[in-house]
Formats: sequence, C-alpha cells, structure tokens
Amino acid sequence: MTLLVDAFTILAVLAGLVFFIAGTTGLLRFPDTASRLHALTKADHLGLGLIVLGLLPRAAGIDGALRLLAIWGLVLLSSAAVGPMIARLARLRRPGE
Amino acid sequence: MAGPAVFRFALLLLLWFVVAGVTADGAAVGAAAALLASWASLHLMPPTRDWPRPAALARLLLRFPWQALRAGTEVALIALDPRRRPSPATIAWMPRLPPGGALDAFLAYASLLPGTLPAGEIADGAIAIHALDASTDIAAAMTMEEARFTHAFGLDA
Repeated sequence: MTLLVDAFTILAVLAGLVFFIAGTTGLLRFPDTASRLHALTKADHLGLGLIVLGLLPRAAGIDGALRLLAIWGLVLLSSAAVGPMIARLARLRRPGE
Repeated sequence: MAGPAVFRFALLLLLWFVVAGVTADGAAVGAAAALLASWASLHLMPPTRDWPRPAALARLLLRFPWQALRAGTEVALIALDPRRRPSPATIAWMPRLPPGGALDAFLAYASLLPGTLPAGEIADGAIAIHALDASTDIAAAMTMEEARFTHAFGLDA
C-alpha cells in the first residue's frame, strides 16, 4: 500500500514538473505576450495541480490536505485576476500583437 | 448589509485558518486580515440578490479539473513540440452579460479555460479574446461557457 502511494506521489509530481518545464519552454518560445501568458498560466496551473494531487495522500490530516488545495485555489484565483489584465495592457501598448 | 458582511468575514477567516493553521497568536492577525479583506470585497463586489444554483455550480466546479487538464496539455504540446508553432489570433467576442462585476468574474474564469485569454474591451462592448490556436470556433465556445457560468451563479434569474 505504501509502495502504491509512493509510486502515485512520484508519478504525479514528475508529471507536474513536466508541465512546469512545458510552461517555461512556452515562455521562451512563444511569439507574443498573450501566448506566453497562456503558457505561464495554463501549463503551470496544471503542473501545480498535479504536484498538489501527488502530495495529497502524504498530507498530515485533513487540514494539511485542505491547505494544499487552498494554495492551488489561491494561485488559480490570482492568475485569473491578473492574466487578463496583463493581456489587456499588452494589447493596448503593442496593438500589432 | 450586515448578513453578507458577516458571511464574507467568516469565509475569509476560515480560509486564513486553513492556510495558516489555528494558533492563538495567528488568530488576531487573521481576524484583522479577514476584516480588511471583507471591507475590500464589499466595496469591490457589493452584495446582490443573485443566488448560485448549487447543482449547476457543482457541475461547473467538477468540470474544472478536466478543463485545466485540457488547457495545460494543449499548451504543453505546442510548447514542447519543436515542429509546432502557435498560431495565435485575437478575435472580437460579444458577451451576453452586461459590463460589470459578473462579466469581469466570467472573463477571469474564462482565462483559466482551454485556449482562451480575455484581453480587455475593444469597442461597443465587444471583448478581445486571445486564442492560442485560432483554428477552433473560439466565440461559440466562449458563449457556451458564458451560459454555463451565468446559469450556475443564478445571474439569469
């Protein structure tokens, strides 16, 4: 059982890291500000979500699990609020993009 | 006015305890932070008479992890495949929701969905939507998500 939980944690956290790498690659490769925001928000959100999912079985009690989920929720909330604002500013400053 | 204020204060204090843990000296700081946050939230988002529909809201929330998976995978595939380049485009989309807090909340939510990133108002109420892959029907997808969101939060009542 412990082995299964360990394997789940390792796989989920590794998958999360792959999405963080993909997000960073997108940040470097994508041609315009808004596309880079897609990479930074969507891929990283999934990466963080998978890391949180992988750590959930190891959390100390229900409060530890809720804390992990709250951190994911807060990151989603802040980037949902800020992402469209940066995209709007980028569009207004560089209308060509 | 007192009801929503107390409700929001209680929720924010609960969030504080979830994140920071329940400790005696932390509680005072948490209460002060929750008080400030409630004050800001009442100013930025005055209480309305719209009530969410629990079943529709639950469906929206349960769908979200799947959406996050699709959104992240889509971006990751384009980013990691050296043969692919994004073909981004900005389209004009006409929302059904009137300008205001509800529309802003929907646009923030839409920025988390696959392929779409709202980028401010263009003219006559149309919203610029930045799409990473312009080959799909972004406007139709936005309108469908808007209907789901509006229904879940009871904004169409």
